[in-house]
Amino acid sequence: MQRAVGSLPLGPALRARLAAAGFQTAQELLDTGPCGLSREIGISKEEALEALQVVRQECSGDAARTAGGAGTTRKCTALELLEEEQAQGFIITFCSALDNILGGGVQLTKITEVCGAPGVGKTQLCMQLAVDVQIPECFGGVCGEAVFIDTEGSFMVDRVADIAAACVQHCRLIAEAHQEEDHQKALETFSLESILSHIYYFRCRDYIELLAQVYLLPDFLSEHSKVRLVVIDGIAFPFRHDFEDLSLRTRLLNGLAQQLIIIANDHKSAVVLTNQMTTRIGQSQSTLVPALGESWGHAATVRLIFHWDKSQRLATLYKSPSQKESTIPYTITPHGFRDVQPPAVTQNTESTEMNPRKRPRREEEK
Amino acid sequence: MVVLRAGLCPGLTEEMIQVLRANSVRTVVDFVSSDLEDVSQKCSLSYKALVAVRRVLLAQFSAFPANGADLYEELKSSTAILPTGSPSLDQLLDSGLYTGEVTELMGAPGSGKTQVCLSIAASVSLGLKQHVLFLDSTGGFTASRLYQMLQAQAEDEEEQAVGDTALSQLEALQRIQVARVFDVYEMLSALQEVRDRLSQQAVSCTGPLKTVVIDSVSAVIHPLLGGRQSEGLAIMMQLARELKMLAKEFSLAVVVTNQVTRDSSTGLLKPALGRSWSFVPSTRVLLESKGAAWEEATTRRSASLAKSPRQPTGMQVELDIGNSDVQEPSPATPTEGL
Repeated sequence: MQRAVGSLPLGPALRARLAAAGFQTAQELLDTGPCGLSREIGISKEEALEALQVVRQECSGDAARTAGGAGTTRKCTALELLEEEQAQGFIITFCSALDNILGGGVQLTKITEVCGAPGVGKTQLCMQLAVDVQIPECFGGVCGEAVFIDTEGSFMVDRVADIAAACVQHCRLIAEAHQEEDHQKALETFSLESILSHIYYFRCRDYIELLAQVYLLPDFLSEHSKVRLVVIDGIAFPFRHDFEDLSLRTRLLNGLAQQLIIIANDHKSAVVLTNQMTTRIGQSQSTLVPALGESWGHAATVRLIFHWDKSQRLATLYKSPSQKESTIPYTITPHGFRDVQPPAVTQNTESTEMNPRKRPRREEEK
Repeated sequence: MVVLRAGLCPGLTEEMIQVLRANSVRTVVDFVSSDLEDVSQKCSLSYKALVAVRRVLLAQFSAFPANGADLYEELKSSTAILPTGSPSLDQLLDSGLYTGEVTELMGAPGSGKTQVCLSIAASVSLGLKQHVLFLDSTGGFTASRLYQMLQAQAEDEEEQAVGDTALSQLEALQRIQVARVFDVYEMLSALQEVRDRLSQQAVSCTGPLKTVVIDSVSAVIHPLLGGRQSEGLAIMMQLARELKMLAKEFSLAVVVTNQVTRDSSTGLLKPALGRSWSFVPSTRVLLESKGAAWEEATTRRSASLAKSPRQPTGMQVELDIGNSDVQEPSPATPTEGL
C-alpha cells in the first residue's frame, strides 16, 4: 500500500497537482476520499472519483499478488515455465534444416523476424507457415488458425492453394503409411477449403491502419481463440517511406513491439514479422543490414536473415535465446518451402556443415 | 513534503490544522521552516504547543547523519558479492555482482545480454542456493536454455553426487521466479510487490531473495521517451528510484539490460535511454560480438567495462556465451530427468 504516487498510471497534470499538494503514497490518496481530494487539488468530483478508482485497482492488484492470490497473471517459477515450454508445440516449416536450427520450428509465444533481400522467399515462408499452423496434432502440428496482415499486397491466394494442396497430400501419405484411426479422422477435416477458410486476411495500406489493426487484434483473438499464428508481412514497408519524424517512428515501432509481445504471450501464438534490408555504408565497405534501425533489432526475440550465395538461398539464425547461430540452405519448390535435396541421396541421411542442435520435441514424421 | 494531518503527532489536532491551513501552512516543511512566534500570533495558538509539535515533527521526519566508520562496518557485514557464472565476467566486475548496487549490461541485438542474465540467474540459484527474481519484458526468457546452463554448471562442480544433480537442478529452477511484465506500470507494481514482501519479511515460498534481474528495462521505457512529452522521463526516474531503493534497503544485487542505439550525428553506437539513465547504474558493461557482421557466426563475445566505481574503465574480457552448451550426442530431451 505504500506505492508512490509517481508510479501510478495517472495523467501528468493530475500527478503534478498531487505532488504540489504533498501527497506521497497511494495510501494517503485513498484515505482522503474523493471529496477531500477534489477540494485539496482543485479538480472536479468525477475526476477525483476516477483517479481513486485507478489507484484502488492498482493497489488491490498489488495486495492480491502479495497474498499469493489469483491476481498473479504472469508470474511463475522457472520450473513451471520449463514444463510449459516442453509441452508447447512448434510450427514446422517443412524444411527440416530450418526447423533444426530453430530448435524444432517457429516457437509459440515468441516474436520471430525474417529479414531478407527482395525475392529471397520471406512471403513464401509466411504463406507456408500460415498453412503449417493448421496441421492437426496427430501429424505433429499445433492445429491452430492463422491471421495474415498484409501491407505490401504480396499475398497470392492461388499460391497458398498450391502450398495447402501439397501439405494435404503429404499428410495423406503419412496417414496411409501409418494407418491409424485418428489420422483418418483428422484428414477428414484437413482439406483445402478448411485451410483457406481458417486464414484470416487483413490488408493495411499505411502505418496508421497497421497500428490500429495491431491494437484491435486482442479483441479479435479473444473471439477466435484457436489462432496460433499472427503474420505481419512487411512491417518495414509502411514505416520506411514518407516518414519525416524519425523519433516518432522509433516510438511507434517500440510500442508496436510491446503490443505484439503481449499478444504473443497472452494468446499463446507465434508472431512472425518480415523486414526489408538496407545498406549501411561504412568506412571501407557497405553491408546489408536489416531495416528500421538499431532499436528495432531488439524487438524480435528470434531473428532469421535470408540471403543469397550465388544462386543458393541461405538462411542464417542471427539472434535466438536458446539456439546457436548457424546457416543452412533452403529452396522454394512449386510445393512451397522445402529443404535442399542433395543429389541422389535419400532424405534420412541429410547432413549440414554447421552443427545444428538436434532437439526434436517429438518424432518428426517426414 | 508530507501534508499535515491530525494524528501525525500528539498535540496536532484537527482545529489546529484548519487554522494553520488558513494561514498557508500546509505541509511539514512549511511548519518547520516558519517563524513560530509569527504563526502563534496569526493563528492565536499557544507558542509552547507549537514548539512541542515542531520538536516531534523534526524527530519524526528528519534524516540523521551517519558516521563514516559505522557506515563502513555496516556495508562490510551486509554486502555480498555474487558470482555471475562466468569467471572472466567476474574478473571484469571485481569478483562479481555487488549487492546494494545496480549493474547494467548493454549491447546490440544478439550480443548476448539475455544469455548473461540467464547465466547469472543459474549461478546464483544453483551455486548460492538463493532466490532470484527475473522480470522479463522482451519475451526472451527460455526455460530450456536456463536448464541447459544449470546442467552445464552442475557438471563443473564436483562435490555433487550423481543422483542429486537432477534434483538440485529442479530445485534451482524452483528458486527462480519469473514475472512477465510488458508495460512500465506492471514493472513498477512488480517491484512494489517485492518491496512489500521483503519489508514484511514473510516466510513465503520465495525465501531469501538476493538478486533481481530485469531484461530489459529499455523495452518498457523506450516507447515513452522522446517527443515533446516529458512524461517518459518522469516514469524512467521513478523506476530508477525504485531500483536503487530496492538495492540499497534490502541489499539486493540488481542487474538490468539496456539496448544500444545509433547516435544520429556521429553514427556510433551509444546506450539507449540517454544521459539521465546513465547515472543510475554504478557499473556498466558493454557486450559486443566478435564477428564483424551477421555473416560470421560466432559465440564469442567481448565484454568491456564502460563505467565502474572500482575498476579502471576500458578493461575488456572475452566471453563465450556458447560454452554452457551441453553437447548431447543423442537427442535426449530434458523430460527424461523429470
